[in-house]
Amino acid sequence: MSHPFEAQLAHIRETLLLMSTLTDRSLSLAVRAVAERDDKLADLVEASDSEIDQLEVTVDDLVVTYMATHGPMARDSRLMLIASKISSNLERVADQATTIARRARALNKEPQLVAVTDIPVMAAMTQELLREAITSFVEGRFELAQVLIPKDKEIDELNRRIAAKLVALMMENPANVLRGVHLMTIAKAIERAADHVQNIAEEVFYLYSGQDIRHEQNA
Amino acid sequence: MHTLAHPFQHQRTTNRIFESTVGGAIRLVTYLVLLASACIFLTIGIKGAQAVLAPKWPFVNVAFFTEKPSTLYVFDWHGQKLEMSDEQFRDFKAKNKAEDIPVETYAHSAGGILPCIVGTVLLVLGSMTIALFFGVCSAIYLSEYSRDWWLLRLIRLSIMNLAGVPSIVFGLFGFALFVGYFKWNISLMSGWFTLALMVLPVVITSAEEALKAVPQGFREGSLALGATKWQTIRTNVLPYAIPGILTSSILGVARVAGETAPILFTAAYVVLDKYPWQVAKWTDFFFQPVQALPYHIYVVSSKIPQNAYTERMQYGTAFVFLALVIMISLGSVLLRIRLRNKLKW
Amino acid sequence: MDETPKTAPPNAVAHAAIEVDHLDFFYGSLQALHDVNLRIPAHKVTALIGPSGCGKTTLLRCFNRMNDLVSIARIGRGQVRIHGTDIYGSKVDPIELRKRVGMVFQKSNPFPKSIYENVIYGLRIQGRINRSELDEIVERSLRQAALWDEVKDRLHESGLELSGGQQQRLCIARAIAVEPEIILMDEPCSALDPIATSKVEELIFELKKLYTIVIVTHNMQQAGRCSDLTAFFYLGRLVEMDRTEKIFTNPAEKQTEDYITGRFG
Repeated sequence: MSHPFEAQLAHIRETLLLMSTLTDRSLSLAVRAVAERDDKLADLVEASDSEIDQLEVTVDDLVVTYMATHGPMARDSRLMLIASKISSNLERVADQATTIARRARALNKEPQLVAVTDIPVMAAMTQELLREAITSFVEGRFELAQVLIPKDKEIDELNRRIAAKLVALMMENPANVLRGVHLMTIAKAIERAADHVQNIAEEVFYLYSGQDIRHEQNA
Repeated sequence: MHTLAHPFQHQRTTNRIFESTVGGAIRLVTYLVLLASACIFLTIGIKGAQAVLAPKWPFVNVAFFTEKPSTLYVFDWHGQKLEMSDEQFRDFKAKNKAEDIPVETYAHSAGGILPCIVGTVLLVLGSMTIALFFGVCSAIYLSEYSRDWWLLRLIRLSIMNLAGVPSIVFGLFGFALFVGYFKWNISLMSGWFTLALMVLPVVITSAEEALKAVPQGFREGSLALGATKWQTIRTNVLPYAIPGILTSSILGVARVAGETAPILFTAAYVVLDKYPWQVAKWTDFFFQPVQALPYHIYVVSSKIPQNAYTERMQYGTAFVFLALVIMISLGSVLLRIRLRNKLKW
Repeated sequence: MDETPKTAPPNAVAHAAIEVDHLDFFYGSLQALHDVNLRIPAHKVTALIGPSGCGKTTLLRCFNRMNDLVSIARIGRGQVRIHGTDIYGSKVDPIELRKRVGMVFQKSNPFPKSIYENVIYGLRIQGRINRSELDEIVERSLRQAALWDEVKDRLHESGLELSGGQQQRLCIARAIAVEPEIILMDEPCSALDPIATSKVEELIFELKKLYTIVIVTHNMQQAGRCSDLTAFFYLGRLVEMDRTEKIFTNPAEKQTEDYITGRFG
């Protein structure tokens, strides 16, 4: 029943899935590296970054080849566009994870600053967001994607609060500045990762509904 | 199993041997057919040449082609055996002042067959014209206009049956209808219509085939431009069918020229004094009887005692007849080639 | 799925060249079209797509009543209106209809006459004989069909000596010589190589300025490239009809999407 070209489309989807699994892993390892002050975890994150970069190239290559040889239409043509975009967004999430890992390593050289508990919460929310976006892609449930989009706003809000707290800490004591800056960077990286995940959710929504809802939040 | 020099080497299997045997057998059968026709042509050619050809310029026996059949007189004259026709004998007698010379006479063995040639040509032209007109019209109706219902099939069946009717029956029918009922008497008209009827199935069938061979795309393309059905047929179908119609109707020509039975009681006389153009009124032209080649052969072969002299005439007539049919066929082929070049698709 | 009659999108052009209302069409006892409703707008290219036997060619041939040539073909209920007139009405002469609605066939059928005679065939049968007028029309039609430059020096050669693509363009020139309002094309490029195909497609793009074009095609890419609107048929029913961009990026019906993505069957 299934046509030969469906295998090629499935291959593109599987590659994206693989990429998302690796990205998810990188993100959670990076966050743990901060929480558990473990350098080895940070090393793992940096090591896997190049593999994720390579997968982005692979996905784009598969997409261009399929478009040239099969002339896809409707849903398949939308898949081509968003496959390329999702892979790009995942790669950026992985880059943010790498940033977090580097800052974690730097932080670990210093004694721990006040445990900023909001950061793990924000990180957990972002990871949850990523997993649900991937689920909606795999299961074709674009209504799920729609629900995720507002959650990004909460994460933005959390980031603002963390930044304010850290600024207060840094103003209190100049010795806190170095660590404070690292932590702010980490929080910012998580917030950026969440932005990219929101993009992924919008793209999944477009794939399955045919409606483009990007940038509507800013309107 | 011997090794092959290369993978595509010929294999001498039973099948392949059978293959070449069959090919050879088919070739042999065809050559036998050719041999048979060659025998016929050669017999007629050689024997007929005696009457038709002459040893000196113009190498044909002009008298044979320009005179009426007349009685042959054979007699001894001072030890020589002479042959002369009616007129020649009278002149000879007058010249030599000999009144009574013992002669052997042979009917129809002297003179020529010009009236027969003329008669056959007229019969062919007239009947083919009539047959082509009625036949092509019928074919157009059957293949272009009629809808495919029981009546159409009945008509086709009738035409097929007509093809199987013996020619003598046509002759009787023609006699009863044209000669008797229409009171046309034994004449060109009766002969034309009788022969036309006989050859009609051939013409209709070949015309239908020729019409069918014209691609449907021509009709559709024409109709799609707003042409009526007749406009389409007249400008885009019929012209391209005509070469085919003419070629296939050659069969008809040979039949019409050669059939004796239909003209036996409808058109042919054994001998006539006047030529067909020697009539009082132009309307009389159509209602006069004619002599015909096949009928002449019949007369010379069966109505008079046989001997070497009559045999000469028979074969001579047959020779001319064959030559005539061949010329008509060639003419038709040439016509077809010319038309095809103009109208080819 | 409930088969409600599909109508053209609400923003359909004001001037519809062809209107089809609740059309049923039969070949003997076989129903080829079921309750077809659509509007074909003027001066646009409308593509009819669908798998073999879906009725798109039957519908196309309804528009110029070429189906009349098949003795068992008949219209059931419903109307086909061209410029407001029901073309299956009693007062309509199919001959006159076909002068206004031209057709180009799948297998190009140039007549075995000269190129000149081919182009003016439709005019000759209307009795037009003014030589200079005909010359002008021949040039105009061949120019519109993008064939003039290639054949202007050999107008009296046989139309059959042209290549496949040229023959099809000749048939198009022949169709437009009689100045129809609507041109119907039944898979015009299916027998042509890609270069000839693209020439004919360019031609279609130019022609729609002057004529309304309805094209039946099996080639999805062609429908995507050439047409403004696309109608998808399946088993004698109109499944969906909309702007081509919409049909090819995000069709409303799953059947349509399955067909155009090649997942049918």
